[in-house]
Amino acid sequence: MINNHEQEKKQFKRLFSHLGIDEFDRRFQVLEAFLKLEKHVTGSDIDLQLKEDGIILDQDFIDQSMELLCRFGFASRMEFDHGPPRYEHRHLGLHHDHMICTKCGTILEFRDESLETHQIEVTRAYGFHMLQHKMEIYGICADCMKKRSPLVSLDKAKQGEQLIIRQIEAGRNLQMRVTSMGIRTGDRIEVVSAQAGGQVVIAAGENRLIIGKGMSQKIMVEPHDSAALHTAPEGAAPFKLRQTRLSDMKAGQEGIISKVSGKGTLRRRLLEMGINRGTRVYVEKYAPLRDPIELVIKGYHISLRVEEASHILVEDVNIAQRRS
Amino acid sequence: MHKDDPKPLCFALAGNPNAGKTTIFNNLTGARQKVSNWPGVTVEKKEGIVSHKGQDIKIVDLPGTYSLTPYSIEEITARDFILQDRPDVVINIIDSANLERSLYLALQILELAQPTIFVLNMADVARNKGIKIDDRILSDLLKLPVIFTVGNKNKGVDLILDTAVEEAAAFAKGKTSRNVTYSREIEECITTLEKALLDNFEPSASSPGRWNAIKLLENDPLVKDKFTELSPKKAALLFELADTCIRRIDDLFQDDIDIILTDDRYGFIEGILKEAATTSDRKRVDVSRNIDLVLTDRFLGIPIFLFFIWAMFQATFTLGAYPMDMIDSGVMLVSNFLDQSIPPSLIKKLILDGIIAGIGSVIIFLPNILILFFCIALFEDTGYMARAAFLMDRVMHTAGLHGKSFIPMLMGFGCNVPAIIATKTLESRKDRILTILMTPFMSCSARLPVYIILAGTFFTRHAGTVIFGLYFCGILAAILTGQLLRRTLLRGEDAPFVMELPPYRIPMMKSLLIHMWDRSKMFLKKMGGVILIGAIIIWTLSNFPRDVNYSTDFDRQIQTLETRIQTPQPPENQQEKPEADLTRTLKALQRQKAQERVSQSFIGMIGKGMAPIFAPIGIDWQSSVALLSGLVAKEIVVSTLGVLHGVDNDEPEALKEALQKSGMTPLSALSMMVFVLLYIPCIATVITIWKETSKRWAIFNFLYTTTVAWCASFLVYQTGMIFTTMG
Repeated sequence: MINNHEQEKKQFKRLFSHLGIDEFDRRFQVLEAFLKLEKHVTGSDIDLQLKEDGIILDQDFIDQSMELLCRFGFASRMEFDHGPPRYEHRHLGLHHDHMICTKCGTILEFRDESLETHQIEVTRAYGFHMLQHKMEIYGICADCMKKRSPLVSLDKAKQGEQLIIRQIEAGRNLQMRVTSMGIRTGDRIEVVSAQAGGQVVIAAGENRLIIGKGMSQKIMVEPHDSAALHTAPEGAAPFKLRQTRLSDMKAGQEGIISKVSGKGTLRRRLLEMGINRGTRVYVEKYAPLRDPIELVIKGYHISLRVEEASHILVEDVNIAQRRS
Repeated sequence: MHKDDPKPLCFALAGNPNAGKTTIFNNLTGARQKVSNWPGVTVEKKEGIVSHKGQDIKIVDLPGTYSLTPYSIEEITARDFILQDRPDVVINIIDSANLERSLYLALQILELAQPTIFVLNMADVARNKGIKIDDRILSDLLKLPVIFTVGNKNKGVDLILDTAVEEAAAFAKGKTSRNVTYSREIEECITTLEKALLDNFEPSASSPGRWNAIKLLENDPLVKDKFTELSPKKAALLFELADTCIRRIDDLFQDDIDIILTDDRYGFIEGILKEAATTSDRKRVDVSRNIDLVLTDRFLGIPIFLFFIWAMFQATFTLGAYPMDMIDSGVMLVSNFLDQSIPPSLIKKLILDGIIAGIGSVIIFLPNILILFFCIALFEDTGYMARAAFLMDRVMHTAGLHGKSFIPMLMGFGCNVPAIIATKTLESRKDRILTILMTPFMSCSARLPVYIILAGTFFTRHAGTVIFGLYFCGILAAILTGQLLRRTLLRGEDAPFVMELPPYRIPMMKSLLIHMWDRSKMFLKKMGGVILIGAIIIWTLSNFPRDVNYSTDFDRQIQTLETRIQTPQPPENQQEKPEADLTRTLKALQRQKAQERVSQSFIGMIGKGMAPIFAPIGIDWQSSVALLSGLVAKEIVVSTLGVLHGVDNDEPEALKEALQKSGMTPLSALSMMVFVLLYIPCIATVITIWKETSKRWAIFNFLYTTTVAWCASFLVYQTGMIFTTMG
């Protein structure tokens, strides 16, 4: 590798001085810093390395130099998962692919000969002439997999998921109640529908059960092995409730909140006041000038500006006017 | 911990707004309470001392909040008090009829790990709503005492202190309460962070560990700053750890940690409620809803609101007029008594014309202010204030304000000082400052006499229209100011409007009176001193220097006249010189003397010195002196004009004549009225702004209003001049 780097530096000197590129010395410093670093580095990593060596350069200058290095084949640039551009050493004649962990951001390099040859075969079969290729596999790395708890609470389960109940984390009262519903640890269940943050409808054997939010948080489930391969039956479109913005609802309508977005302070405030997923909301009335809107939530009245209400998505429960 | 501590026990009252906290506080402490501001912030702090079974207990009323985030002053104040002052017990007042939402704050308070008791207030309302709460189960679940009260009927209030004292003792023996259990993954993160906190920081800084850990997960800037201050290096590591946790949770749940934490808390609450509360549903009569069918009706809502406001002003000014007259004659009595009992001297003049007149000018407003604040307290305590904000928000929002700003702004038409104090009802600091800076453009009642004289003199037939136009101009200036400041100095996103509409309640007289008196007292205390000093300064400026070069020897002439009046006239001379004539000459002489004295006094000199500034807006030096004296109170503008034009204040007709003769044109009168409308309201207002915001905003307001006033007058006068020369 070291030899390799020496050779790169020599080539750099030759090429750059040949082309008469400005600020040669400083760009060379960027190259040196870059070569010192292994793996996939960002512009700011290089800046840090330079600082360590006692060199301070403008970040724009570094980025621009890295572009030049890419152009002349000393580095290659890539962007993983919308992150900042990263650079790696480009040792001519050598190729490798990447696996990116979406959790910790680790990037693994790999090279698999059979994959490489297979790619050529595939392209050839299509009569396609491959010039170059890039392969990025996203997933979870071994370390993160080890840390991951296989158990999730039922309220986080997705519609259509096949699950096995592993634990019921509750006091004796609730344990009893759950058991009396016919749910035991080790049972296999399917999520029929799950309203965001609200109740979950499950199928346990022949039974359909509705489990409230409080309880579903305490039932720990493990995705069934076949879950990853599981596909919905042909033609059965997933059951989905219609969503409307709260600001589009009329007085007298009622719904269940499915999403609260909006900017930091506003969203926090809304959440604290009890406007969170799974909460039932009733539109009491609009103010005479049509702006603030009065809602009934968790048994009390609250008013929001229409603009603020537009950040809240609601699943319709009834559209019929409830005349008061 | 505090068993042998001679320090009195300290209990803090916490809870949601509208939970009846203040009522319970009043019931506990009675009249023995002290109202001040929390250090550094303009949030009201109420304290009181109760003697309970031979033990003195200090009770602190924390600001009413819905949560303990670091995003509002009230919430920061409340949580800092619990964390730093460590009250022996936190008494958490909970609205029983609103248990679910109230528990959200309650659980956050529990996380602060201080002894806490739950007071389920308004138990009767909850019962009527069909909510049954099992206090034993609730108490078992959370491992803390739970008691029921009905605050406004004073039921169960005694029990609060007993229970709190017991709980403090139990905690000292190592008892703890239960906390929210979050999702398993979050609990893991909390444990990791808690351990890291213990390993890296002193227990004094890191405790309560669980709370700090949760705050790190919530990315709480204040908590983070605290650790950075202690040790930037260790803090950085800690934050990195927290970030990993946040990312992990983000990834696992595919959602923001904010949402997950709130979901978990409300999930926990739901679990508690399922065990401890039952709601027998349906068909109860919701009185509040029925009232709102009328009061916030699409068509009736706004007219009814305007009627209430009209009624408030009627009450303030018509009812207030009677005690005002009484106070006025009272002040006159005192001043006459002093006039006779003190030998004539400079000190006497200072006492009579400076101090008594100064105090009189403040105290005269007391009835108005008491009535106004009583009405405001009534609006607040019944729950109508929130409806007013609900109705008016659309209108106020166009000026960048909150609906609640409407009432203070409107009060500004009465008097700016109470209006500015009334902005305390606004939650967001930005909204408060904005409202406070806009209020002085509301033409207060003290400005009206000036308009009446000037418009009455120069726009006889259209005086009403002109005065109405002025009021309108003031509103326009306020709106433009709002727009301008929102775009410049007070930029940033609007505070969320999210506001509870509490159920209507029958207010308690005691609460109303305490509320009213607290605010009025603040007005009197602050204003009394300042007005006094202001009055003395203006008096000094207009009475010095003493060595005035009078055109004739007034003193001797007055003296001779006075002796002539007092000595009984021989009957044959009586027809020649009737006494009435003599008195009139005497008065004329005195007026002439005062006129000359003021014009040569410091204030006269200042007025003359400032003439070049006022010339482009068509205001002569007499008027500029009057404007200067108007800084104390705008009513004085008229009386100063009177003095300077040598007419008696009791004869408005004479002043009108004098003004017409003085070379003032309708145009310059208009310019002056615009100036009076827009320039600094009065010292009292500026001082109130200072007290309620900061010195910088007060100075800003001073400069800003003056600049606006000058520019507007300039525009009026110069445009008018162009038209006159053309015509």
